[in-house]
Amino acid sequence: MFKLVRNYSKLSSPKVRQKLTATNTKSPNPPPNELPVFQYPVSQSSDRRVYVWGLAGHGALGLQPPIAKRKKFLFYHKPNRLRFAEQHRVIDIESGYGFTVFAVDSKDGNILWGNGINTDSQLGYDAAAKDPQNVVPLPKPIHLPLKNPSSQVTGLAAGRAHLLVLTTEGLFTLGNNGYGQCGRPIIVDEDYTNNTIVHHIPDIKGERIKSVTAGQDHSILLSESGQVYTFGWGADGQTGLAHYRNEYKPSLVKGDLAGENIVKVACMADCVLALSDKGTVFGWGNSEYGQLPSLVDNHQINIATEIQECRSLGHVVDIAAGGSFCMVLNSDGNVFVWGYGILGVGPAVQRAKEPTMIPATLFGFNAYSRNNRVSQIYCGISQLAAVTDNGDLYMWGCNKFGSLGLGNIEDQFFPLKVAVGAQVKKVSCGVDHTVTLCKPYI
Amino acid sequence: MGVTSDARVVWQFLNGIAAIYKPAGYSLHRTRNTILTHLCRDLNALEGRPQREYVRIEGETDKPMTVQVVPNLADHLLLTGPHYQQKDFKLSWVNYLGYDTSGVVIIGINEGARTVMRMRESNPTRFYKVKGVFGQATDNYFTSGKIVEKATYKSIKRATVDAICASMQASHQRKMFELCGVDMQSQAAYELAIQGPIRPANNKIPMIYAIKCVAFNMPEFTLEIACINEYEMYLKTLVHQLGIQLHSVATCTQIQCFRYGLFTTELALLKKHWDVQSILDNMEQTQAILDNNKYLVEQDSPTLIEQQI
Repeated sequence: MFKLVRNYSKLSSPKVRQKLTATNTKSPNPPPNELPVFQYPVSQSSDRRVYVWGLAGHGALGLQPPIAKRKKFLFYHKPNRLRFAEQHRVIDIESGYGFTVFAVDSKDGNILWGNGINTDSQLGYDAAAKDPQNVVPLPKPIHLPLKNPSSQVTGLAAGRAHLLVLTTEGLFTLGNNGYGQCGRPIIVDEDYTNNTIVHHIPDIKGERIKSVTAGQDHSILLSESGQVYTFGWGADGQTGLAHYRNEYKPSLVKGDLAGENIVKVACMADCVLALSDKGTVFGWGNSEYGQLPSLVDNHQINIATEIQECRSLGHVVDIAAGGSFCMVLNSDGNVFVWGYGILGVGPAVQRAKEPTMIPATLFGFNAYSRNNRVSQIYCGISQLAAVTDNGDLYMWGCNKFGSLGLGNIEDQFFPLKVAVGAQVKKVSCGVDHTVTLCKPYI
Repeated sequence: MGVTSDARVVWQFLNGIAAIYKPAGYSLHRTRNTILTHLCRDLNALEGRPQREYVRIEGETDKPMTVQVVPNLADHLLLTGPHYQQKDFKLSWVNYLGYDTSGVVIIGINEGARTVMRMRESNPTRFYKVKGVFGQATDNYFTSGKIVEKATYKSIKRATVDAICASMQASHQRKMFELCGVDMQSQAAYELAIQGPIRPANNKIPMIYAIKCVAFNMPEFTLEIACINEYEMYLKTLVHQLGIQLHSVATCTQIQCFRYGLFTTELALLKKHWDVQSILDNMEQTQAILDNNKYLVEQDSPTLIEQQI
């Protein structure tokens, strides 16, 4: 305080004042009568931002916490802009159970970066690291054995402790293979800490892989012709191979999928939804919470079954499966949920056996904005998210460690807008954190 | 109303609500003053009450006295002043518009001043047209101020302005749930939320229901805003914020309140019509609107009813 006063008095002493005014009058640029015209920077159309929120303790957010807070149990309940994404051209994001990976468009070969829990080497092995790294606090490059330096990542999927990276050279899998979820033979008592193995699956029966999805401990591949192949843990029938064993070879899903052209597969834990180009929804896996409503006698469905209830919902365009619930979006922009937990239709509804519509007013549809509709939906284990045409993100569900990003840690029983300062392009929900890929407005 | 030249009859009818068009650059207090001056002028020009009389009994007391009725000079106009003066009127407004704002102001005259308070409490939606210009920022957020900053605005596109307006609107909707006065975790909050736009429980915090760009002619633009609890400076800063979000600067140039609840500019009286005859006609029209829409004076709905934009 006294120092401040002293400095101020120094500054305001006549001697100093003279000096200051003298220098001021000397500056010829800009002219005194004309104001300078500022030009503020404008982003490119390809520029992306990444906002993260949720639990920061395991490093999955990739934020450097302030020194004073490092020893505290830390979580962020508001969106935080990630510095990493300002320095790298992030093109895709994916969050697993406590870790996050970023696909980056770069020329130096580091096209995949990751941070968070690395107990099973799901973020790769770093020989340069001094001590075994179980937690990667800030994004570090993940080495992939690529032949062509100009290869790009085209798809990402992350489960509990494994990672699938789809590149132009085929699929690479990292991390835990205890159930065969990495697509290689299971080795009993394999040590996954500091494991260097990166498995490569170039194609599936000669066909290019279009996209990848990961459940808790199983993996799903979608081929170019719309065929679905799965491998990994099958105890709840989540592999859909008509048995409950573990399977390490990518195998074609049995059941109603035959002859269908599947365009999207969604899975977060152990219930899988698949969407065909005709708008038909199929499901298999765990149905303990009524995620697959028509099949009540059996809770572990091991072959793909059409969900009859979705037929009356119109043309389904997007699907999402959470831990104990499922969500679909139809072409009118209406969102339907069923299952168990906080579904988004008020605190009174704990369980919905049939698809229940979330009123469109909750996504900002009202007399003042009639062309506001939902265009994408996403699920975490217990959080749900919807993105509208405008790029506004709405989230609801269980707000563990502020993973809904609403600025509090109270559970949210109906969709509420998350204050993200850009247009949301993609959302990826983990167990207790959320990552979004956004485009700046200008 | 029939034709009358009696000021007392006219005075009896001067009770009610009228819609006035307040010009910009003219304070609301001055508007009130002008209206009252004009009312007094017109009423005094009409035939007023006759001068009072008094009975004069004169004469010597032991003789028959004369009884005369003579004009009471104490009641002469030159002594009392004009019959209708500004202090005789009650005049208050429902919505306050600032100095730089033009548009519809609802006023209550005499008995109408009681309705004013109830109308204010019913909290209807207001609709504004706000014009702005990109490229300059002033010290008072309005075009009348001194320019303090200049910036380029070539990169701003219509689509970007629309996107930011939509995002602002969506953010305000979230605030709407928080301001509705119900616990967000309750079933009541959910049931209120699904009904659509909710009126704020608090009457201080501005709440925007719709904001969209209706005209875009570089560097000028026009926003149409539907809101409650707004004030002039809030709308000015909104334009300023829009400029900053667009990586430029912007200044507000015009604000017009073109609708208050169900009262539009078509109904509102221009300054040249601020006289007794027009105001009485206007009162009749506004009374018809009030009679048909009881919620304008007695609000019992937590959600917005009138929703045409």
